[in-house]
Amino acid sequence: MTKVPMTEAKVWPTSNADACIRCATCMAICPVSRVTPLFPGPKQAGPGAERFRRPGDPSVDSWIDLCIGCHLCDMVCASGVNISELNLLAKAKYLDEKGRPLRDWLLTHTYLYGWLGSLFSPVVNWLLKNSAIKWMVEVILKIDRRRQLPGYQSPTFRQWFRSHHSKGDRRIAYFYGCYVNTNEVEVGKATVEVLEANGFEVTLPAQECCGIPMLGNGDFKGARKMGLQNVPNLLKTIRSGSEIIFSSTSCGHMIRHEYNRLLGIPGSEEVAEHIFDLFEFLRNLKESGSLNTHFKELPLKAAYFAPCHLRSLNIGLPALEILRLIPGLQLENIDADCCGLGGTFGFKKEKYEISQEIGKDLKQAIDRSKPEIVLTDCEGCRLQIRHLTGLKVLHPVQVLRDALLQRTDEEMG
Amino acid sequence: MDIKTEVLIIGGGATGTGIARDLSLRAIPCVLVEKGDLASGASGRNHGLLHSGARYAVSDPEAARECISENRILRRIAGHCIEETGGLFISLSEDSPQFRERFLMACEEAGIPTALYSRDQALELEPELNPDLLSAVKVPDGAINPFELVRANAKDAERHGAKLLFHTGITSLLIDQNQVRGGLALDLLSGEDYKIEASFVVNATGAWVNQVLKLAGLRIDMALSKGSMLITNQRLNQRVINRCRPASDGDIVVPNETVSILGTTSVRSEEVEDFEVTPPEVSLLLTEASRMIPAIRGARLIRAYAGIRPLFQSGGTGGDRQISRSFALIDHGERDGLKNLMTITGGKLITYRLMAERTSDLICRKMGVDVSCSTHLKPLPVVAESLRPKDRLQKIAPGGEVLCDCELVRREELEEILETMQFRDIRDILHRTRLAKGTCQGGFCVYRLLGLLHESGLVKESPNKVLKAFLEERWKGIRPILWGGALKEEELIESIYKGIFNLKDSVEFGVGSSE
Ligand SMILES: Cc1cc2nc3c(=O)[nH]c(=O)nc-3n(C[C@H](O)[C@H](O)[C@H](O)COP(=O)(O)OP(=O)(O)OC[C@H]3O[C@@H](n4cnc5c(N)ncnc54)[C@H](O)[C@@H]3O)c2cc1C
Ligand code: SF4
Ligand code: SF4
Repeated sequence: MTKVPMTEAKVWPTSNADACIRCATCMAICPVSRVTPLFPGPKQAGPGAERFRRPGDPSVDSWIDLCIGCHLCDMVCASGVNISELNLLAKAKYLDEKGRPLRDWLLTHTYLYGWLGSLFSPVVNWLLKNSAIKWMVEVILKIDRRRQLPGYQSPTFRQWFRSHHSKGDRRIAYFYGCYVNTNEVEVGKATVEVLEANGFEVTLPAQECCGIPMLGNGDFKGARKMGLQNVPNLLKTIRSGSEIIFSSTSCGHMIRHEYNRLLGIPGSEEVAEHIFDLFEFLRNLKESGSLNTHFKELPLKAAYFAPCHLRSLNIGLPALEILRLIPGLQLENIDADCCGLGGTFGFKKEKYEISQEIGKDLKQAIDRSKPEIVLTDCEGCRLQIRHLTGLKVLHPVQVLRDALLQRTDEEMG
Repeated sequence: MDIKTEVLIIGGGATGTGIARDLSLRAIPCVLVEKGDLASGASGRNHGLLHSGARYAVSDPEAARECISENRILRRIAGHCIEETGGLFISLSEDSPQFRERFLMACEEAGIPTALYSRDQALELEPELNPDLLSAVKVPDGAINPFELVRANAKDAERHGAKLLFHTGITSLLIDQNQVRGGLALDLLSGEDYKIEASFVVNATGAWVNQVLKLAGLRIDMALSKGSMLITNQRLNQRVINRCRPASDGDIVVPNETVSILGTTSVRSEEVEDFEVTPPEVSLLLTEASRMIPAIRGARLIRAYAGIRPLFQSGGTGGDRQISRSFALIDHGERDGLKNLMTITGGKLITYRLMAERTSDLICRKMGVDVSCSTHLKPLPVVAESLRPKDRLQKIAPGGEVLCDCELVRREELEEILETMQFRDIRDILHRTRLAKGTCQGGFCVYRLLGLLHESGLVKESPNKVLKAFLEERWKGIRPILWGGALKEEELIESIYKGIFNLKDSVEFGVGSSE
């Protein structure tokens, strides 16, 4: 049955809360209810609470804001209840009514000021590390001072790419996302180099922030706006005959799943069929026998962590499959559920402790494995794991790039 | 433990408790006996509709006028038992426009305020309505919680000196020289029996009136009609939705807290106690109700239940829907020469107060006392502050053990209730809380309840026996709606009881009974 829409009709997916058989499987996996009694857990917060929500009534479920949006519940529910979606809709309603703090706006609109951060990166980065500033940020913005805010890099990835001449037999487009652009340019460079080493000419379609930070904060309108800008650009690229890859599983999850199902953005279905996770794409190359596997020996002990949004893409663990081809690389898959950062969730002062508590399992699992470095496809997980363990944390593509031999003539040919 | 009193009231439904309240407010001593718990007859098995009277406006103007007048009184005196939802009578393409005109006129004549809405206005208010509707008439229908209503009457009666005995049946009437002098009562739980001497006896046993009258060798002409209802897992409508056509089966959907209730059917019945909802009734209700609210087709149902209406026949023919829904007060002294015995039956839940007033007036006349009724002026007491759905939702976090996951009943809430009430069996508790009223119908929470009762030494019988009795009762309500999601959940629940509670051999489970 459809619930009355809050902002725009037709956008909202239908609730299938009726399908819940109350088996509580989802309760066993939810990282949040595992660590805090403040959140009643997916069964209760989603299909359970749905019976109590009345369209015209003001929201009373303030705890809904604690759902981290990891989608783990959706993945274990054998009845196919759209639990996290129900939570997100309720969260949106709650925050629409209660109003969002400036902090949330800042955390979700980095795409608007990221370039400024890059431009003045030396100053900005110093400020972000300064403890007096951190104290002020905590007091005024309620961003936890124990968090290191990500630093900015200059030039941005896009600026770097402008002077880079990509060459190859076939074209592939790259949706790099905000974070690669202003904060982890290296990941972008590595992606471009790996694709080029496989004979692709990389192009960058016009793009904006995918909108997932806003969606995670229940700002459907804001998220939809980003989608409405991105989809036509991506469609143009696709219709010109190029597939698209992404290196951030969160951007990918957003474009592939939420644009269509949750946000109903026209054309998003077609985009979803032509946009791939970077390693999923490489795995396809491998399966067709065209993956460049000229790896050098890479004696390194690494741990791999699969982000929630990779799992919700339902494509297995392609990075693991590809990296395992590298000789000498010792790679252990870390068996833990969620890093706890939840995008912008863990930055918020009132949620910091919960976020840390969730991350404990992951930290312990990494500690046990004693790796030299940790690899994971999501920028949020990378930040959190650095914060939890103090280890060096990279995107798997960075290791792949390092393992690829100098491009040989025959490959160039 | 023989008892002497002025008036003996038999039956603890809305009517009986209403009479007890009315008499005790007039300072007339009375004792009420009820063979089950409060509201265990039709008063606890109805549609929960606070009629505006519109449903009867065309066919039975007298009943309509009674309804609207009592509707207004109940809003005043029993606000806490009522959700003022409002109601819509919707016309679909197959419904005659002439009927709508007659309906509007009849409402006006009965004093029922109406407003005519266009299709778009109606859809804006109730988005789940059939988009093919033509128009809707707004009326002051509402939803009423019958359990709370009956409990409030009982409490007020007790406060004013009435004595109420539950799980106690009247097994024979004391008759002396064409005059009734009381009855013999049997405590059905302890087996104890005693005499209740009274100057007057009121038979307020609803569908059972002839069984009581039989004790005096009497009977009245009465038909029994079974009405079935289905409960959806979620609340699909915010207002009561009716079809704007001559009253028929399956044409009302009443919202109630977290659910919607579809009803009703009307099937002649011989049985007062042992009846079930049949598959044709389920299909009929679904077909008819989904014409009004199409989402009902795919909606999950959580329970089916039925109640028996006593239909008093003052002569005349026609279908059961044509028999007046007004009530009958019979003075057996006048009618049969057996003095001081009265029967009050028929009517509606929401006319209980008027029925009680008329009965009490009659008793006063016979007693020669002149005190007038005040039940329409004095508000009913709040028995237990019952939480509205949104309060319950708010209260579940942080922490606090939730006993019933579906209706969000916390352990704390239940412990409070247990402290303030005397209960004699588990059903008494279930009647007083939302426990077991949700999606799983007690499948997951009743064993938790038993744990709690056991911990506090409150169950004397073997808990397994109690559980078994509960499951058997529950099964009756579940069986008619077992398909899809409900069936899946039932498999899970069944395996819990068979596997963990080892009830494999003692309870006849339905889903896997082929084993
Ligand atoms: C399907 C259905 C839907 C309905 N929907 C509505 C509605 O939406 N709105 C509305 O206003 N009305 C509705 N009604 C009508 C309403 O439920 C009844 O009119 C009302 O509940 C009658 O109350 P009562 O106290 O007269 O009878 P009951 O509630 O039946 O009470 C009679 C009591 O007498 C007890 N009893 C019987 N024999 C003995 C004995 N020997 N000793 C002691 N106790 C005894 C029984 O246990 C029972 O509790 C509906 C009825 C039905 C059947
Ligand atoms: S949402 Fe799914 S996993 Fe969770 S209790 Fe319901 S059916 Fe089970
Ligand atoms: S999305 Fe994650 S945090 Fe939210 S309810 Fe589901 S499992 Fe819990």
